[in-house]
Amino acid sequence: MKHSSNGKSGGRHYAVEEQSAQSKTPAYLPAFLFVGFIFVMAVWFIFNPKLDYSSSEKRYLQKFPDASFGHIADGTFGKEFETFFADHFPGRNMWVGVNAYAALAEGNNGAGGVYNCKNDYLINKPVSKDNGIIKNLGAVEDFHAIDSVKNIPMTVMLAPSTGYVCEDVLPMIHDKYNDDEYFDSVSQSLKQSGINFVDLRSTFKNAYAGGTQLYYKTDHHWNTRGAYTAYQQYCQALGLNATPESAFTKEVTSGFYGTTYSSSGFWGTPPDDVEVWDNKQNTGNIHVKITEANETIESDSMFFPKHLQEDDKYPVFIDGNHAYTEITNSKAEKGTLLVIKDSFSHCMAPFLAENYKKVIMVDMRYYKMENVSAVVQREKPEQLLVLYGIDNLATDTDLVWLQ
Amino acid sequence: MVFSSLVFLFAYLPITLLIYYIVPRKGRNLFLFFINLVFYGWGEPMLVFLMLFNVLFNYIGGWLVDKYRQDAKKKKLFLVLTCILDIGILAVFKYTGMITETLNMLPFLNIPELQISLPIGISFYTFQTMSYVIDVYRDDAPVSKSFINFGTYLALFPQLIAGPIVRYRDVADQMIHRRETLAQFTKGVKIFCIGLGKKVLIANQMGLITKALFETTHTDPHGILGTWFGIAAYTFQIYFDFSGYSDMACGLGNMLGFEFLKNFNYPYISKSITEFWRRWHISLSTWFKEYVYIPLGGNRKGVKRQIINLLIVWGLTGLWHGAAYNFIFWGLFYGLLLILEKFVLKKFLDRLPSVLQHVYTMFIVLIGWTLFYFTDVNQLFSALGDMFNFGNGLISDTTLNLFLSNLPVLIAAGIACTPLAAKLYERFKHVRFMWVAETLFVAVVLFLSTASLVDQSYNPFLYFRF
Repeated sequence: MKHSSNGKSGGRHYAVEEQSAQSKTPAYLPAFLFVGFIFVMAVWFIFNPKLDYSSSEKRYLQKFPDASFGHIADGTFGKEFETFFADHFPGRNMWVGVNAYAALAEGNNGAGGVYNCKNDYLINKPVSKDNGIIKNLGAVEDFHAIDSVKNIPMTVMLAPSTGYVCEDVLPMIHDKYNDDEYFDSVSQSLKQSGINFVDLRSTFKNAYAGGTQLYYKTDHHWNTRGAYTAYQQYCQALGLNATPESAFTKEVTSGFYGTTYSSSGFWGTPPDDVEVWDNKQNTGNIHVKITEANETIESDSMFFPKHLQEDDKYPVFIDGNHAYTEITNSKAEKGTLLVIKDSFSHCMAPFLAENYKKVIMVDMRYYKMENVSAVVQREKPEQLLVLYGIDNLATDTDLVWLQ
Repeated sequence: MVFSSLVFLFAYLPITLLIYYIVPRKGRNLFLFFINLVFYGWGEPMLVFLMLFNVLFNYIGGWLVDKYRQDAKKKKLFLVLTCILDIGILAVFKYTGMITETLNMLPFLNIPELQISLPIGISFYTFQTMSYVIDVYRDDAPVSKSFINFGTYLALFPQLIAGPIVRYRDVADQMIHRRETLAQFTKGVKIFCIGLGKKVLIANQMGLITKALFETTHTDPHGILGTWFGIAAYTFQIYFDFSGYSDMACGLGNMLGFEFLKNFNYPYISKSITEFWRRWHISLSTWFKEYVYIPLGGNRKGVKRQIINLLIVWGLTGLWHGAAYNFIFWGLFYGLLLILEKFVLKKFLDRLPSVLQHVYTMFIVLIGWTLFYFTDVNQLFSALGDMFNFGNGLISDTTLNLFLSNLPVLIAAGIACTPLAAKLYERFKHVRFMWVAETLFVAVVLFLSTASLVDQSYNPFLYFRF
C-alpha cells in the first residue's frame, strides 16, 4: 500500500495503530472465513461421490464432460462442466432447502412455484390465465366430430386444482385459482358440442368442507379417496353401479414424497400416506397390458408395489406414465372404455375397471403410434372418457395431436 | 464465466488464489495473464485469439507511439491507426447487425445479415486499451515495456467483462509494484461479498419481477401502479446488478493486490441528472469526458460548440450501451436533459425543496430505464402508455401479490440504495467487536448466495417419466 495515504491524516494513522495494539486476527476473520469456505467446498466437491441419477429431481445428472479438443474449442466443455459442477455440488439438496426456507422467511411464499400451506399442504401456484384450456378442449371436440368417433358417447371429467378446492389452507398472499372461470367455459362449450361433462367442483368442495382429504399434501395429484369420489360422480352421471367402498381392502403405505415436495425444497414437510384400494374379489379376473414403444409389460394386478419402495410412490398405480395401457376385467358388466388421459387417471383406473370389461388408456404425451380414431375403429369402445387435471389440461401441448 | 456462478466461486477462484499466492511475486503477472485467458475463453475459447490479437496490436501501437514521441506526425499516425483498429474491431463485432439492418431499410439494398455473436466484455476492454495508447500519446502514462504486464492489465479478470473501465494510468504503477497485504485482502473479501449479495440476493430477485411483468404473456393489464412497480423493479435490478458486479470486481482486485477506483456512488440519491451521472458508472463518464468531450473542445469553444459536444458524447454513450436505436435515444434523452439543466433548469432546481429534487431526478431516471429496457419500439410505447393510463386500474391482483411477497426485499433494496449502511459502518467500524458483525455479514451473504446459485441449477424433471 502507498505510505503517503496513511501519512495524510493523523486520525487514520491512529486508528491503524490502535488496531495493531489489539490482536489483529479477528479483523481478518472475514477473509479466513471466505477463503476457508470456498476451499472446503472445492475440496469437498472433488471427493463428493458423483451420482448418476438424482431421485429428487427424477433426472440423470451431468457426467464429467468430454474433454476432447473439439469440445473444449467450441465451448461445450465449459458449459457442460458448469452443469456438472452444479449437479454434483456438495450438499446440493440441503442448499435448495436453505434457499426455499430463506424465501419463505423473506415473506415470499411461492417463490419456487409452490405454496407452503397450512396443514402441511404444498400446493402448486395457479396456472397462468393465458393458457391452453380452450385450445385443448377444441382438440377434444374436433376429435369427437370425426365420423368414426361421433356416434360413441363421450364424457369429459376434470380434476379441479388443489388450490381451488383447499382454499382455506393457502397462504395469505396467493394468486387466484381461476377454476370457476375455466370450468364454466368448458361446461358451456361441451354442452354445445353435445359432450357430457361431469363437473366435480361442488362435490369436491363439499367433501373437503366435510373434512375429507381429496388430494395429496406433497403431490399435485388427487389421492385415492379423491379418485374414488370422482368415480362415484362418474357412475352417477352415466347410470352405472359404483362398487361400494366396503368392497375394497385398503393398504396404507406411509413415506410418500410427491412432486410438489420435490420441486419446492421444503424438506421439512411430513410425507403423505398412499392408499391402495384393492377389490380382492377381482383377483384372477384382472389382466394388465402396458405398451410403450416396442416394449410390453403384462401383469395380473393393477398395482405395482415395487414403487412403494421409492420416495415417489404414485406409480404404484398401473406403473405410472405409459403411452398405452389396457386393463381387462373378465367379470365386469360393461364393454370397452377408452380413456384419453393424464396421470390423474392412474389411481382411478382400478375403479373404472370395476365396471368395464376393458379399459384402454391413451396418454397423448407419449402415444405417437397411430391416430386414436384408429384405436376407436379397432376396439369399438362403448364410451369415451377424457380425464385430466385442470392444470395439466391448461399446460398440455400434446393433446392438440389428438385425431 | 461470471462471478456469480458456482464454478467461479468454488473452482476458478480457489485455484487462482492458491496458485497466485504460491507463485513468487515475479511470476504473478505471468500467471494472471494465463488465468485471465482461461476466464475469458471459458464459454467461447476462440475468443482467446481475439484477446491476444488485441493485446498484441495495442502493445505494438503503444510502443510505436512511444518510439516516435519526438516526431509529432508519426506519433499521431500510429495513435490514429491503433484507435481505428480498436474501434473497427468493436464495430465489426458489436454493430454489424445494426448497420446492415439500417442500410437494408434503403429499398435498393439487401445485404445478407451476418450472425456475429458479441464477444463478452469487448465494449469494456476496447475502451481500456484505447485509454492506454492515448495516455501514452499524451505522456500521461509510461509505455508498458512488458508484453505480459500489458496483457495482464487488459485482460485482468476482475474487471474484464463488466468493468469498471480501468484507465491504464491508474494502475500502471500497480502492475509492477503492488504489495498484497492481508488487510487489503480482507477489505477485498468484504467488498466482494457486498457485491455478491447485491447481485444474487437483490438483483436476481428484482429480475424475476421484471421478467414476470414484462416478459411473460398476461391477460390482465398490470394497472398504472403495477407498471411503475415493474419499472421500479428494473431500476433496482440494473443498479444492483451493475454496481454489484463492480463491487465484486473491486473486491477481487483487492484480493490480488490491486486498487480500482469506485464505479458507483449511490446514484439514486442524486438531486439532479447532472449529479446522477457523476455517481452512475463513474469510470465510463470519466472515459468519455477524458477521451471524447475534452478533445472535442469541451466547454472552451463557446456555448454552441459545447452543446454539440455534449450531444455527441451522449449519443455515443447511448450507442456504447447497446447496438440498437433505443440506446441512442436513451443517451440523447440524457444529453438533452444535462444541457437543459446546465443552461436553464439549474437555478430553478436549486430553489426547490430537496424532496422535490429527488422526485424530479428519480422520475427522469425511471423514464430513462424504460427507454433502456424496451428495445422494441412498440413495446416501449405500450409501456409508456401504461405508465400514464388510469384506465387500466391501479394495480392488478397478481401484480399486487408480486409486490407484497417481495416487499421485504424491495425495502431492503431501497435502503441499500442509500449510504445509510455505509455511514453506520463508518461510525462504528472502530468498535471493538466490529469483526463479529463483519464476519457474520460475510457468512450470511455467502451462505444465502450459494443456496440461491445451487437452486438455479435445480431442475426437477417431474412431469415426465416418473
